[in-house]
Amino acid sequence: MPKLDISYKDLKQLFGRDISIRELEEESLLFIKGEFDGIDNDTLKVDCKETNRPDLWSTEGIARQLKGNHGIEKGIPQFKLKPSGIKVKVEKGMEKIRPYIVAAVARDIKITEDLLIQMIQLQEKVCLTYGRKRREAAIGIYDLDKLSPPIFYKAVAPDGIKFIPLESDKLMTPREILQRHPKGIEYSHLLESFQKYPIVMDSKNEVASMPPVINSDYTGKVTDKTKNLFIEVTGLDKGVVMTALNVVVAALSDRGAKLESVEIDYPDARVISPNFTPKKAKISISYINKISGLNLKNSEIKILLEKARYNVKITNNIVELEYPSYRQDIMHPVDIVEDIIIAYGYNSIEPIIPEISTVGDLDEFEVFAEKVRNLLPGVGAQELLNFTLTNKDMLFKKMNLEESEIVEIANPVSALWSSLRNWNIPSLLEFFTKNVSQEYPQQIYEVGDSVIIDQKAETHTKTIKRLAWAEINADTNYTKARQVLDYVLRSLGISDYTVEDAEHNSFISGRVGCVLIKGRKVAYIGEIHPQVLDNFNLKMPVSAFELNLTDLYEILE
Amino acid sequence: MSHEDIISKLHPLERKVLPLLEQGISFDTLLAKATSMKEIELMRALQWLENKKVIDLKVDIKEVVDLDENGKNYLAEGLPERRLLSQVKKNTKVADIDITKDELSAALGILRKKAAITIEKKSEGLFLSITPAGEKSLQKESLEESFLKKLPIELKDLKDEDKFALESLKQRKRIIKTDIRKIRTIFLTSVGKEIILKDLKKVSSSIDRLDPAMLQTSSWKNKSFRKFDVSINVPKIIAGRRQPYLEFLNDIKRKLVGLGFKEMTGPLIESEFYNFDVLFQPQNHPARTWTDTYHLKYPTHGILPDKKIVNAVKSAHENGGSTGSTGWHYNWNPEIAKQLMPRAHGTALSGRQMAKGIKIPAKYFGIARCYRPDVLDATHLIEFNQMEGFVADDTINFKTLLGMLKQFAIEIAGATEVRFYPDYYPFTEPSVQISAKHPKLGWIELGGAGIFRPELTEALGIKVPVMAWGLGIDRLAMFKLGINDIRYLFSSDLKWLREVKLV
Repeated sequence: MPKLDISYKDLKQLFGRDISIRELEEESLLFIKGEFDGIDNDTLKVDCKETNRPDLWSTEGIARQLKGNHGIEKGIPQFKLKPSGIKVKVEKGMEKIRPYIVAAVARDIKITEDLLIQMIQLQEKVCLTYGRKRREAAIGIYDLDKLSPPIFYKAVAPDGIKFIPLESDKLMTPREILQRHPKGIEYSHLLESFQKYPIVMDSKNEVASMPPVINSDYTGKVTDKTKNLFIEVTGLDKGVVMTALNVVVAALSDRGAKLESVEIDYPDARVISPNFTPKKAKISISYINKISGLNLKNSEIKILLEKARYNVKITNNIVELEYPSYRQDIMHPVDIVEDIIIAYGYNSIEPIIPEISTVGDLDEFEVFAEKVRNLLPGVGAQELLNFTLTNKDMLFKKMNLEESEIVEIANPVSALWSSLRNWNIPSLLEFFTKNVSQEYPQQIYEVGDSVIIDQKAETHTKTIKRLAWAEINADTNYTKARQVLDYVLRSLGISDYTVEDAEHNSFISGRVGCVLIKGRKVAYIGEIHPQVLDNFNLKMPVSAFELNLTDLYEILE
Repeated sequence: MSHEDIISKLHPLERKVLPLLEQGISFDTLLAKATSMKEIELMRALQWLENKKVIDLKVDIKEVVDLDENGKNYLAEGLPERRLLSQVKKNTKVADIDITKDELSAALGILRKKAAITIEKKSEGLFLSITPAGEKSLQKESLEESFLKKLPIELKDLKDEDKFALESLKQRKRIIKTDIRKIRTIFLTSVGKEIILKDLKKVSSSIDRLDPAMLQTSSWKNKSFRKFDVSINVPKIIAGRRQPYLEFLNDIKRKLVGLGFKEMTGPLIESEFYNFDVLFQPQNHPARTWTDTYHLKYPTHGILPDKKIVNAVKSAHENGGSTGSTGWHYNWNPEIAKQLMPRAHGTALSGRQMAKGIKIPAKYFGIARCYRPDVLDATHLIEFNQMEGFVADDTINFKTLLGMLKQFAIEIAGATEVRFYPDYYPFTEPSVQISAKHPKLGWIELGGAGIFRPELTEALGIKVPVMAWGLGIDRLAMFKLGINDIRYLFSSDLKWLREVKLV
């Protein structure tokens, strides 16, 4: 979600009218899915929640949209465009590296501080969010007067050329840039796998940039003396690069720049960019009213759509629409319906409680688990809720166990939270460690999930719900644990269970049992091994059991 | 209360103590006199008497120097240096002296300092000889020795020579120790002074405890019961209780069931297919990167469900399928969809439920444990619960969506006012964020909602609009439980769990 800094003064100037902060916060910013996030002197902070509309990520774009919603302009925004005569020649082979480039010229620009700040912010946000951190769209902006067209978009060997990149004063090869330049290091993963790297250069072999990494210092620096701009966007999808270019130059046009188009010559095609030809869509009145529930008349729909900056023609209850070329977010008529509702105003709508008659119910297994949870306070145990994230050390080493397969996180934030637990007793022992100075006896339990590996399952794992119970006290023992387990099982109507001798290194040998119901192992029960207690820094005996409720439920079914 | 009233309420222990009381008597003296009582019984009796305003218990804190383990022994058998010196004549062989090794080295050091002995090292070992100064000191009690005899003594009463002895003995192992002691002194109040003069037996024919024998023989009849001080404080009981946050979630579940919602559940480990792809979230979406979601090191890939659903999802992504949408324009990759991850949001539950097949009208909710790479602190959890749900019916539209959200705000959050904000989610259009005005908390962001995109629902064979919602209820839970630190929802603080009020 792009967070934007915009100048309040600048916004009012571009909007063409005074507007109060309160009106912006409570009404106008909602038209651009913007959330007011405070004002610092003249700087308005706005979170724009619309991640698919880069045209709204600048003061120019916000003002353009608001002009429609406030009735200052209506219908599709207009941008004048004439040919520049400049060509970009795309060499063969680029289709395998970074296939698409589009470009435009903006002349007679008056570079102000506001323009510069917004141009850089828009460029950054578009590349970061819409361009997926430059992978799908990277924008270069140059001083046109330092370039000698035609422009070439070609692939160059890692050591095949040298130029001075921005933020440096040394001639560097593309390989050196990727290895040593801060931007090169940051974006090297986008190029590393290729034999040759993309380069934009002019007819005099002056390098403009190495997209999507860095511009050259000579041509790629825009200052307050710059009068004419050359803008290019490279990327992997022709729709995405065109949208990004249209968004950037539309903002420049709103500040009075004269836009000119550029001809892109691919080996097998010719494209003119930017392209402001409106896109078209059709939507029925009935669909609009079905989704919105607003029961709007045709004339109302026309007004709302014009406010949302569409050109509208309604015939036979079908709305024919034209909308700006940079709106790539409109995939389906439902996207247009949302624009209508936003223009109508979410808070102008009267909410209606739906009358749908259904019978509510809890999940049956959850009801069973809840029954178990409610049993344990009866024996004096305190219920816990623990995290399922833990680590191998806790699950195996501290529990005196050999490692076995468990779910492991590939990108943990901390080694402490790098695995999902496969049983619950370790969480209870960890809890005891944190509460050694509290009053004894301490009797605790948790009915919680853990995850085991199950190669047959769709997710290769199975989520298991288990009841773990434990008591720490000077005189706790196997009998106590067994009494509690017996109480739980009897309360669930199970009296025909058996307990067999078991081998389990977390417990004292000879004082650990495995509980079987209808031949299936459902629980381990016993006195925790002193070595384990030592590992958890516990100086009191612990008895515990862990009952598999998922399996138990299946058996009882 | 009259004196008779007080006397009638006296506990047997209090009755035992009363006759022993004297003005200004110390607790220790009293304990020595009350031979049939345990210390704890005496203490309790005195506290009750104080509650009845019969006595005042004055507590003085004193720092007292007393004998430690070794000190007690030395007081009886003499300090090591004296025991050593008394065995030394002329050229006495060290090995012949009766003293432990530890004591020997301490004693040698001290005696040398006092020039009480001379030491000679010979091939057969160490030899000691007593000096005239040594002879003299044998006749005299040292400062340390006389100090030990005075113990225990209060720190503030120490004389200069005592202080010198204290400093020197402090250096040595476990001879003395300084304790902080509570000195309790009992003073009779004006009421107390009168009561101890009364004959307690006169009002003593009341029953203290009703026991089964009395009931069997009816001997309780025509007798009175000793009156209790019912206002007295009693020790706390520790009982087993449910976890407070889980109880809060149960309350919310109950409300949703009351509103006609069925509960849905799902696995903790999900495939990206259900977590993202089914929800029409494109495979290059930033939320799918390593910085925003966990991925697994093991196991890495799962299995996709049946081809029909997979193909419908694939074409919805690539070209909109038969929905009239343009789709996201890219080649959908089944290998990415197979990747496994801990569930990142509750909407994965809704996706799974819809893919399973639902009967229209359908209303579902779920509480989902979710995982995102965050650090654990007072405002962030490493795993958290999301409450999600959806309603599928032909009558669903944006107005009814707002209606349902308003109902949630009022019923679940106790809100008095709501406001709606346009929002963006990859899987809903139109999308809305709801803010609710809580009478105590003010405006809070309650959650997000919207109508599922047709690319999502139609790919799963659902032909009616489906509205989906997710509520952020943790702030509400924190408010109800009176906590500022979100970690307490998963509290590992036993004291807090035992004492927090249940909501």
